Amino acid sequence: MRAFQAIIARDLRLAFRAGGGAPQAVAFFAVIGVLFALAVGPDLSLISKIAAPVIWTGALLATQISLDQIYRADREDGSLDVIIATSDELMVTAAAKAVAHWLSTGLPLIIATPVLAILLNLDRDAYVPLLLSLLIGTPGLSLIGSFAAALTVALPRASLLISIIVSPLYIPILIFGAGAAAAGAAGDPQYGANLSLLGAATLFAAAFAPIASAAALRSNQD
Amino acid sequence: MKKKTRRFYLAAGIFIFAAGAVALTLNALKGSITYFYLPSDLAALEEKPTTAIRLGGLVETGSLAYGETEEDGKPHVAFAVTDGDTRINVAYVGLLPDLFREGQGVIVQGRFTPDGDHLNADTVLAKHDENYMPKEVADALKESGRWQETGGKAGTGSAPQN
Amino acid sequence: MPSLYEFANPVRFERWARPAIPWLVGATTLLLVAGLYYALFNSPADYQQGDSVRIMYVHVPAAWMALFCYSLIAVSSAVGFIWKHPLADVAAKETAPIGAAFTFLALFTGSIWGKPMWGAWWAWDARLTSVLILFFLYLGYMAIWRTFEDKTRAARLAAILAMVGFVNIPIIKFSVDWWNSLHQPASVFRAGGPTIHSSMLPPLFLMAGAYMTFFAAALLQSMRNELMARRLARIDSGEKKTAASLVES
Repeated sequence: MRAFQAIIARDLRLAFRAGGGAPQAVAFFAVIGVLFALAVGPDLSLISKIAAPVIWTGALLATQISLDQIYRADREDGSLDVIIATSDELMVTAAAKAVAHWLSTGLPLIIATPVLAILLNLDRDAYVPLLLSLLIGTPGLSLIGSFAAALTVALPRASLLISIIVSPLYIPILIFGAGAAAAGAAGDPQYGANLSLLGAATLFAAAFAPIASAAALRSNQD
Repeated sequence: MKKKTRRFYLAAGIFIFAAGAVALTLNALKGSITYFYLPSDLAALEEKPTTAIRLGGLVETGSLAYGETEEDGKPHVAFAVTDGDTRINVAYVGLLPDLFREGQGVIVQGRFTPDGDHLNADTVLAKHDENYMPKEVADALKESGRWQETGGKAGTGSAPQN
Repeated sequence: MPSLYEFANPVRFERWARPAIPWLVGATTLLLVAGLYYALFNSPADYQQGDSVRIMYVHVPAAWMALFCYSLIAVSSAVGFIWKHPLADVAAKETAPIGAAFTFLALFTGSIWGKPMWGAWWAWDARLTSVLILFFLYLGYMAIWRTFEDKTRAARLAAILAMVGFVNIPIIKFSVDWWNSLHQPASVFRAGGPTIHSSMLPPLFLMAGAYMTFFAAALLQSMRNELMARRLARIDSGEKKTAASLVES
């Protein structure tokens, strides 16, 4: 348990430095939102229609670009081998990594969402469904993403491969998450179903991503 | 904590997460994430949704009517979509797909008018059921009176009675 | 590090695979000719769709093969991961491009069929979306093999991805039953028997047979090529054991 907390604390410290993963992800997220707002132009009703999907896509992309960093620093300074050797259970360590990633990426994105929502003229009714769907869905993104990072940690530049691996696995979360946000805003009865499936996807990732990450980390040892 | 105990707790944790995922999935399937609504689903809502939605069902026999034709050749069409219990009126401007006909499955995409009277469709898709057979067999079944129109699973169209 | 175990199986494999391939190619040709004949000339037009139903004979077996190949990859990956059988990883690796091609064929012919039948080239319903996800899973799997030079490592990592992605297969199969979707429910493999007329079954099964023998022939040939390439690579790196055993075959 202490090792779990120690890993999270260390990763958070690294992520919130200047140049670390957290500010990068939020900045990228904000850029996506601003670009869409600029591209759509003065048509306020159009931008508010697509606000929730744009925010969801922005959150997904911002998460995706931060994935390479999860194990990169540990690998480069050699501490990854130490971590693997001294972990009582590597899958717990992998889970800790995913939690740390969410705390340093997903959570800041959720906090930044209301600001972006104002920029994109999001409907008043849509705020709670959107935030709730992000809250349930982004941990799943972190779990699946950390698995992809573990698979590719031995490569010098893994961003492209991570994107290819992670895309099919992210699609259901995006569909259910954006679907929940839209259904909740419209008062649609499918809101509950979308949230349930979103939760199911995250729980499924929580059950199997850590053990798959552990296997991948071991396979990647030199 | 001994290794065996730890392993046991981890396995239990994984099992609980996975079971939770399955439970949520089953719960969602009851509520049913659907590609389209049935007319009864929409009738059960107090207020018709204002966003674009998909409606699926059978084209009610006798409900198809053509109006004037636009300059580009697209006719105004009106028909009703039914699932056996409820019907919803639909208005569409454009050419209908080849498989579209009364008594067959259809999926329309569009918005309700503000007064909730009918649906203005942007897209009309003909839905095909899982039955395949030659024309002669279909004709023979119709003649012998064993041809059954089924509401089926959300407008799957007609099917032979075995 | 090479061991006798590593050499014994691939050599035996070569011994039966090489003569089997021409038979499989022959069977493929026969089944394909028979299947196409039945599909185009000796089966009825559908009562609703007319002649455009004949795309089904290309589309449906391709979809079956898409699912079959991924399942085979997942099973081979598990076998290779747990028991380290040397041929399992090679089989999985070589199945992937063929499976991806079948998936693409299914998506492509499905789209062509969808336009006259439904009125749309594509729709984001559960069946079509999950098959597209399957296609991306194939691509990710192949990308892992390409990216890692160390084949042993690539095998293990690809195996993990294949097993994780296997959850998509039951979703593809049952999505049309669980949810109201645009794609029609199952017509052949379903409880209660097929809802497709018996005159339409021969071309369907003939084409499925043709695809399967084609797959077997292509897989065996690819595996032979891969095993040969690995032996050549080992020779290049100067291992004498390999050269000696190569002489006798």
